[in-house]
Amino acid sequence: MSAEFVFATAQYESGDWDSAPLLPANIIDTIARYTEIPVAPTGVIVPLSDARLFRYPLVYLTGHLPVRFSDTERRNVRAFVDRGGMLFIDDHNHDIDGTFHKTATEEIARTVAPLTELPNDHPLYSAFFRFDGPPTTSHELNGWGDNLVHKHLLAVQRRGRISVLYSNKDYSSEWNYHPDNKRFLSVDNTRFAVNLVVYALTA
Amino acid sequence: MSALDRLRRVRGVLIAGVFLRAALWGTFAAISMIAIVAIADAIAPVGLNVRVVLRVIAILAGLVVGLTFVWRDRRVRELDRVALWIEERVPALSFALVTAVELGDPTLLVDMRTSDWTTLAWHRGLSRLLTPLAALVAATVVLLALPSGVVARAAAPRRGDSLSRASRTAANRIDPLVAELRPPVYSGARRQEIDEPRDVRVLVGSVLTLRGRGDAGGIIAIASADTTLASADADRWQITLRVSAKPLAIRLTDGTHVRIIAVEPIVDAPPQVALTLPVHDSVLRVPSGRLPLAAEATDDYAIASASFEYIVSSGEGETFTFKSGVLGAVHSSGKQLKLSATLSLDSLHLKPGDIVHLRAVARDANDVTGPGVGASETRAIRIARAGEYDSVAVDAAAPPDAEQNVVSERMLIMLAEALEKQRPRLARDSVRHESHAIGVDQKKLRRAVGDVVFTRLGGAPTGEEHTDESPERAKTMQEMLARADSATNRSIDPVDFEGGESPVVAVNKPLLEAYNAMWDASTALELGDPGAALPHMRRALAAIQKARAAERLYLRGAPPPVVIDIDKARLKGKDKGASSTRRPEMPIDSVTSIRANRLDHAIEIARTSSSAAADSLLLLRVDALADAPAFASALGDAAAAVRRGDGAAATDALARARRALVGAPIVRDSLSRWGIIP
Repeated sequence: MSAEFVFATAQYESGDWDSAPLLPANIIDTIARYTEIPVAPTGVIVPLSDARLFRYPLVYLTGHLPVRFSDTERRNVRAFVDRGGMLFIDDHNHDIDGTFHKTATEEIARTVAPLTELPNDHPLYSAFFRFDGPPTTSHELNGWGDNLVHKHLLAVQRRGRISVLYSNKDYSSEWNYHPDNKRFLSVDNTRFAVNLVVYALTA
Repeated sequence: MSALDRLRRVRGVLIAGVFLRAALWGTFAAISMIAIVAIADAIAPVGLNVRVVLRVIAILAGLVVGLTFVWRDRRVRELDRVALWIEERVPALSFALVTAVELGDPTLLVDMRTSDWTTLAWHRGLSRLLTPLAALVAATVVLLALPSGVVARAAAPRRGDSLSRASRTAANRIDPLVAELRPPVYSGARRQEIDEPRDVRVLVGSVLTLRGRGDAGGIIAIASADTTLASADADRWQITLRVSAKPLAIRLTDGTHVRIIAVEPIVDAPPQVALTLPVHDSVLRVPSGRLPLAAEATDDYAIASASFEYIVSSGEGETFTFKSGVLGAVHSSGKQLKLSATLSLDSLHLKPGDIVHLRAVARDANDVTGPGVGASETRAIRIARAGEYDSVAVDAAAPPDAEQNVVSERMLIMLAEALEKQRPRLARDSVRHESHAIGVDQKKLRRAVGDVVFTRLGGAPTGEEHTDESPERAKTMQEMLARADSATNRSIDPVDFEGGESPVVAVNKPLLEAYNAMWDASTALELGDPGAALPHMRRALAAIQKARAAERLYLRGAPPPVVIDIDKARLKGKDKGASSTRRPEMPIDSVTSIRANRLDHAIEIARTSSSAAADSLLLLRVDALADAPAFASALGDAAAAVRRGDGAAATDALARARRALVGAPIVRDSLSRWGIIP
């Protein structure tokens, strides 16, 4: 296992797993800006059905289309969280009536355990930067998707630790831009990603 | 009635007496044995299995005794023996009766008085029944004198009858103890009772009733944070609990006496569903027709319903729309179910690019914690877009016929090497002829490679023919690649590829290199110089190998590579700002180490109190059931072994438990260099 953190994007059989291609680079840039965590300059794409999945402590999964894991993917994801990995799933449709949400939550319930609301005072929100809950995204504020501003993230927790984190906030759209464009933002909207990474590495 | 008929009647009476007597003795034997078992059980408890065996032995003993008596008097059915028996008791007959029976002559019996024979037989038969009857009555009296529960334990042993056993005044009311398990109705499982429950496995949703003797006052059960008081039921107490999905340790308390019962819930698994039709994902050119669907579902208890679900996704990029539906729903009550349906693609009004996601879903009959829902793998049926036919295999096509007369490059090299070796001994014409033949094969192979390259470049497979003999043939690989690149990148922006090359160049470079090397080799071979051709041929073979080993690219998932300059992002270089020291968090005292400590403690107290150690192991087992099943299983075995005092089995089970908890011990060849032991 490499000593440096490598951001991994999950590749799965059923959907458009590559719908946010610039997000990994953006998060890597954020980690480099705010922390001293040794981080690889590029991310990797790791198939959920591949044993390489177990090399990465945090795996990011997104998409618009229905999420249906194959048997191998399901077995690997189960083993991944059993071994202490953290799977971060973001609904790129930002729609709780959307097919991604319905199928992904159902698949997680089937594979790991049912998702429950993550309290907004969870250590995740103070793992590095301090947040009062999941930061909102412009996509949910401007009425895209389900017209809702979601107050909580969902999660599967094991022994007080998050195994699967699920978001309807559409961070995949919010963070999917070239890191050089951060200079146009008054407040870096990817700071929450630091909390995700720090939590996944330390909790 | 003739004398012979009367003789037969006497025989009938005697036979009936024999059977009756045998039955009485047999019954006496069986009842006596059951009475003995009941008395023994009242003195010291006899196990259920032993009692079952003893009951069988009692029945067999009764049969054996009865049959023995029948066998001993078996000759009573012979008429001459009966006649002799009468002659012994009526000497006046002077053997006339025996003689008449032996000779078969009834005329000898004329005027013979026969009326007292039957009376004689009745007297004899009844007198011989008196002893067994008295014995049977005595045994029955003994049996009736015993408490009814005691007799029932011997006569009809069953699980859960320990409360029926007579005993002296018990030290507490939670010993003996019986657990009754009533599984949920949907499961169809039977009610069962367990004597002296310690470690109970039961389906979630079952009702667990603990029963004991005596009044209910002061008996409580503590499970997790809940406390339940016992209720009275005649001369017994009972506590009823419903089993949830969480493992439970019930502490049953009567004053200072405590019993621990571990409850391991069996979770009803959701149905297993397999979609058998369609067999695989498909891409359809035309969205019409009917699609047969078939699936099979199995469940551990019962399937309530099953159906097919479909989701149609339309759109691309950020705009997707979805519609879904259910078809082929069936209801069932069995453990297995097959379902089939037909999906009309026309009714879905599909457009190019749409994807139909199909799967089968089954729900079990679990009305307690469920229903459990199982789903099959999902098949995706995609409707091809109009512009993708040139790059996507819409329908599986038969593979092209293999060109049998093309010799591999490796074989051509071997032929050329052999020819070069024989060259000093051959005439020049022969060398030229053989070399030319190899050159022809080399040319064919070059054309085959050219077909591959030109097909990839978007041209016809025969594109190479247009340039074969053309003076405009690219003389250098760079020219060829440039031409290929310009031919295929006319209108679209190339995907940003590794090393800055266009995909055409990156993918075809090795094959084009092979192509050009083959060209040079065939030229040399046609000139009759295999020695000069060999370096080119080897270069061609190496290029083919390189192409074969080339990385397969998954174009869909290739995002623009953005490499972050970490140092730049961290503003390193001029500013020497010191960041605060980040100290790693102290390792959390893990669940494993806590369990290891508890296991050590349980082993420690086993020296002084085996029951306390067994209870500690049971509590640890309940704690580990949810997430460490192997550890919990070994603990269950260890607790049982400790309780029955089986040291060897306990040691074995505890070793298994420790290995399941902390892994196998690390074997070292020698002490480590920095070990504290010299």
